[in-house]
Amino acid sequence: MKRLIIPGTLVALILLAALAAPFLGLPDPVRQDIAHRLAGPLEGSPLGRDEFGRDVLSRLVWGARTSLGVAFASALIAGIIGTAFGLIGGWFRGLGELLTVRSMDVILCFPPVLLALLVVTLMGPGAGTLILVLSVLYLPGFARVTYAEVLSARSHDYVEAVRALGAPAPRILLRTVLPNVAGPVLVQLSLAVASAVVLESGLSFLGLGVVPPAPSWGLMIRGARATMEQAPMLLFWPCAVLTLTILAMNLLCDALRDAVDPRTAGTRSRLRAVDRLLPGLLPMAKPAPGTVLSVRGLTVEIDTPRGPIRPVQDVSFDVGAGETLAIVGESGSGKSVSATALMGLLPPVARVAAGEAWLDGTELLRLPEEQMRRLRGGPMAMVFQDPMSSLNPVHRAGDQVAEAILAHRRVPRAEAWKQAEALFRHVGIADPERRLRAFPHEMSGGMKQRVMIAMALANRPKLLICDEPTTALDVTVQAQILDLLAELRRETGTAIVFITHSLGVVAEIADRVAVMYAGQVVEQGSVAEVFHNPLHPYTRALLAAVPEGDAPPAGIPGIVPPPHAFPEGCRFAPRCRHAEPRCSAGPLALEEAEPGRDVRCVRWRELARRGAEVPA
Amino acid sequence: MSAALLEARDLSKTFPGKGMFRKSRPVQAVRGINMSIARGEAVGVVGESGSGKSTLGRLMLGLMPPTEGSVAVEGRPLSDFTGAEWRRLRRRLQIVFQDPYGSLDPRRRVGSQIADGIRLHGRGDAAKQVAALLGRVGLEPAHAERFPHEFSGGQRQRIGIARALSTAPDFLVADEPVSALDVSIQAQVIQLLAELRHDLGLAMLFISHDLPVVATLCDRVTVMYLGRVMEEGPARPIFNRPVHPYTRALLSATPRLDPARRAGRILLKGDPPSPADPPSGCVFRTRCQHAVEACAQTVPALAPFGDDGRRVACIRAGEIG
Repeated sequence: MKRLIIPGTLVALILLAALAAPFLGLPDPVRQDIAHRLAGPLEGSPLGRDEFGRDVLSRLVWGARTSLGVAFASALIAGIIGTAFGLIGGWFRGLGELLTVRSMDVILCFPPVLLALLVVTLMGPGAGTLILVLSVLYLPGFARVTYAEVLSARSHDYVEAVRALGAPAPRILLRTVLPNVAGPVLVQLSLAVASAVVLESGLSFLGLGVVPPAPSWGLMIRGARATMEQAPMLLFWPCAVLTLTILAMNLLCDALRDAVDPRTAGTRSRLRAVDRLLPGLLPMAKPAPGTVLSVRGLTVEIDTPRGPIRPVQDVSFDVGAGETLAIVGESGSGKSVSATALMGLLPPVARVAAGEAWLDGTELLRLPEEQMRRLRGGPMAMVFQDPMSSLNPVHRAGDQVAEAILAHRRVPRAEAWKQAEALFRHVGIADPERRLRAFPHEMSGGMKQRVMIAMALANRPKLLICDEPTTALDVTVQAQILDLLAELRRETGTAIVFITHSLGVVAEIADRVAVMYAGQVVEQGSVAEVFHNPLHPYTRALLAAVPEGDAPPAGIPGIVPPPHAFPEGCRFAPRCRHAEPRCSAGPLALEEAEPGRDVRCVRWRELARRGAEVPA
Repeated sequence: MSAALLEARDLSKTFPGKGMFRKSRPVQAVRGINMSIARGEAVGVVGESGSGKSTLGRLMLGLMPPTEGSVAVEGRPLSDFTGAEWRRLRRRLQIVFQDPYGSLDPRRRVGSQIADGIRLHGRGDAAKQVAALLGRVGLEPAHAERFPHEFSGGQRQRIGIARALSTAPDFLVADEPVSALDVSIQAQVIQLLAELRHDLGLAMLFISHDLPVVATLCDRVTVMYLGRVMEEGPARPIFNRPVHPYTRALLSATPRLDPARRAGRILLKGDPPSPADPPSGCVFRTRCQHAVEACAQTVPALAPFGDDGRRVACIRAGEIG
């Protein structure tokens, strides 16, 4: 709303001046006074007189009436008819599309000035003709913009839902489709008004528009041109108001588009800067031998308009060679942000605020980008969730894998290609020679994920980070990929960090699991122990929520809090059945329950005892 | 089944190939499906991408016309309904979508979107009913004044359900309503659907790729692969003892919390064939470990199997079942 004030006031002032012209007590804009021809500022005419001694200020204001009237009328007429055409064409397709949208293409075939010349010649100059010409000219723009928007809007589920409710077509078009295509149409309107002001001036300048002596900005520029050397300011004034008007219109329409979209209305609540001082004060223990990756106290901070947030806080874990650690959590738990932080791939707004991560004696989090680049795709590699968008669509699969090899090793291209073929065979791609030459779009999702894994394995990484690698795949294909990863790990001894939201997948693939909630690890340990004897109430609730086909799954009430509203104490407390006042007293530490088993809950001991007494 | 609320006969849907110069092959999304849904019954449709399950849902609602066959409501074909009658019919058949973000109009307050169904069918005081519906799906009446972006995924899905219920339908198609949700939220929505079914006597077609979810919620299940039904029958027995090789493979590929509960793993070879170019005979034979030559010859009929009322489309069901 704030953004609307300045352009809104500006446009309102211009419009008001134009509308109020008769009441402003200005001199008659057409009364000539040859005695004061080209005079400078005089009493009663602050901007001076023009070549016929007419008052310039008065002509500017009266000219605004004509110029803006023509521009608004034509843009509105074109806007209403064009939008209606676009709606009908986009919704009914077929004949409707032919009559409304395709017919517009005919108009596009005429050069605009030629069309204007033709109409003016036939109908004679004047404001009415100008409005007609301009609205015809702008019609196709509106029709096409609306048409394209309707085509994309009609594929949305919410449009289908209104159809399923039994709403008649006009109602769907006006109440559901129109508001959702209004943004681009408004922008188009601003462009049309702005360009209509210019075109009106242009046509009037050519003598095809407004008829003298009626004032119009175009006519003023035309008149001033002849006396440009004697009185340059005469040219300046109409040009200045023209520019100002167009700029104000464009700003207003941009602001309007944002204002009518409820999604951009930001909530305004101010946020406290929560616990900035806490983490990272513990002394760092040297990683145990055999540990490939050791993460301690990883904290990621993101600056947002509402203050800094910490989507990941105090995350610690170890992964040994040949071991698979699953990081499991719901959306918003910070599991993917943790992984991108380790890879040094955080977006610019995010930064590591605290913590350390050791990969074989190298600290990752403070490494210069150049050294990080050498690690990525080399000793540490990553497989992403979406195989569709992770491969470059314009390069052959083989080239992309060979590229991954060449980025880290100096080998001839032919050799890299040969290794790529071996990798393809390794990840179970049938007919590797042919597949190497295939483009990504010629492959299925499972095949692409195999290519991604081949790329990740290209330089024999010590650590493989998999970020939901099977989420986009069908279950039967997911089973294949999980099997492949398990087999590769056995063969190569690569440590795997496997990020997933599926507890079933964790049970399939992982040795150990770290359960994350709202940016923190709440429990970790071996999969067998955590799943059979969960210590944290969240882990327990999460396991009970998995549909296993027997009892109906039990949901967890409430929702995961957003990072700017993380509770101060235990972050799960507001949703926890066992919450007590002391749970929310202050930040909790991850406590070692037994060797290799950590939990972040003040009540875990009593709950475990009670759980032992009352078996689930 | 004479008491069928909805009945599909030999339902097929073919989407024409695209492309201006070289037409791609037409996609046979659904082929020869027979299905009947009684009042208050929940039928699950399980399958992977490309199995035609979502198309089947749209066909059952009459939101797209079938290429062959027909769907009948209480014995009367959907194609018989026109004009005002068609709009009145719409009140009875509703849908809940998968994507909680794309299925609500981002520019309208949720109350007004829910009220649509009430106003369109002249079902009385909209404001009061919207409040009641929001309460019914576990939200606050005050939420009616908010916009969709102010809600989480699970809450939006509840709003989508409230919108579907606004017309007091007899039949609801739920197209993967929980697939896009987190586990803890997924369970909330499954609970809600089960309650609604129980309280309102809704008949439901529950489309999902997740067999355990279907087994908890549905009476019967239909397993689809490449547009055809592989196995159908009572949900629980099929979940506990699948017969068709595809159902078995699907179940064995579904990750379970306790991998010991998963019967011996059957790893399918390769990827599902394209629905534009399905194999001859049994469509599953190219990935089936039991396939023999005869499987390529004829399309296996859906035949009764055992005594629990299930039907299986496999010529070797007797040997391997």
